[in-house]
Amino acid sequence: MAELVLAAATPHNPLLWRAMNDPVPDDLQPIAANFARIREAVAAHEVDALVVIGTDHVRQFFYDNSPAFVVGKAESYHGTWENEVRTFGMEYVELAGHRELADEITGRTVLPETIDLAVSLEWRLDHSYVIPLQYVRPELDLPVVPIHTNASMPPVPSVRRFVALGEHLRDAIERWDSDARVGILTSGHMANDVGGPRTFAGSPDPDFDEAAAAWMRDGDLEGAIRVCSDFQRLLEAGCMTYQYLNAVAALAAMGGRPADFAEVTPSRFASSLFFLWGSR
Amino acid sequence: MSKYMVDKFIRAVELSDAAVAAYVADPAGVVDAWLAGAGGPTGPSDDRELTPAERDAFAARDYEALYALGAHPYLLWHFTEAVYEHEYTPDSGWRELVERYRAAVAPQGIVDYIP
Repeated sequence: MAELVLAAATPHNPLLWRAMNDPVPDDLQPIAANFARIREAVAAHEVDALVVIGTDHVRQFFYDNSPAFVVGKAESYHGTWENEVRTFGMEYVELAGHRELADEITGRTVLPETIDLAVSLEWRLDHSYVIPLQYVRPELDLPVVPIHTNASMPPVPSVRRFVALGEHLRDAIERWDSDARVGILTSGHMANDVGGPRTFAGSPDPDFDEAAAAWMRDGDLEGAIRVCSDFQRLLEAGCMTYQYLNAVAALAAMGGRPADFAEVTPSRFASSLFFLWGSR
Repeated sequence: MSKYMVDKFIRAVELSDAAVAAYVADPAGVVDAWLAGAGGPTGPSDDRELTPAERDAFAARDYEALYALGAHPYLLWHFTEAVYEHEYTPDSGWRELVERYRAAVAPQGIVDYIP
């Protein structure tokens, strides 16, 4: 059977792409170092395939058709969008998909009983997939199963559905008749406001950041569920803060156990999440 | 008021370099041409409508008004960035645009942006 060998949560802040270049500015060196830590962990765990959980930023999915969760079933994916190349200086990439693993996750004929997943066979991945992969696996050589979570277009799935997603991913991977070593790479935000009243003014809510780091460090899934059940609380911490729930999905996938590494890194930007669960 | 249509027009501009360039050159002309291109009852599903206040806010590149009208904050910021970037000078660039944008929206607090 396949094995879930690693989960990691990282930022996908696309402003890093221009800012974190050689020489890396002093305030971004801890972020570069934490990405390197996770890059080394993925290599050391000899991962064969990555489930990449992110949130499409209203590029592929919009209010004409806004699914809660989407699993990519494509053979391959184009990475990043024209507006992201323009705005963030990102580079177009090509990524191989992993159809067999995607089928294990969605079911080929009937969806899993525990969660309803939409599927996509044509999906251009935005920075919430491309940026973490470029830092964590710059070779871009691992086949991926991208999963979109709607964390930006209310109504959004509840935190318990993110937990259900994480638990389902573990089950699906462990039921897969394969010797593959699978990792989950998820990305999101701590408190973060883009376009709201506290746009780009450091962390909009350090108290949330502190609590949210502790849920991962302590393996406090119930604590995360309790606070993240309050959409308004997260909205007040910034309009992009709900993407923190992508890390909650990783915590649930790892059985709610404390992260082996949990750091929330301050910089000129909103604070950056780095959580890692390994098996080596 | 249709927050959905406001967001739809923002995307119609912001996702494409060519559309950004056209809009920057003639905001009112592009918004009116966009409205005129609706699919209609028998065409492809592509409804387009804006209230006069929404149309005028786009014609004026007025991010303060668009925020009040309930544009999605994330989309609105990147739209603002895209359509003001060409006005950056050595003394007033991205950081100054961020400051102007935040000063315009902060007094309004969190506006209900759910369509």
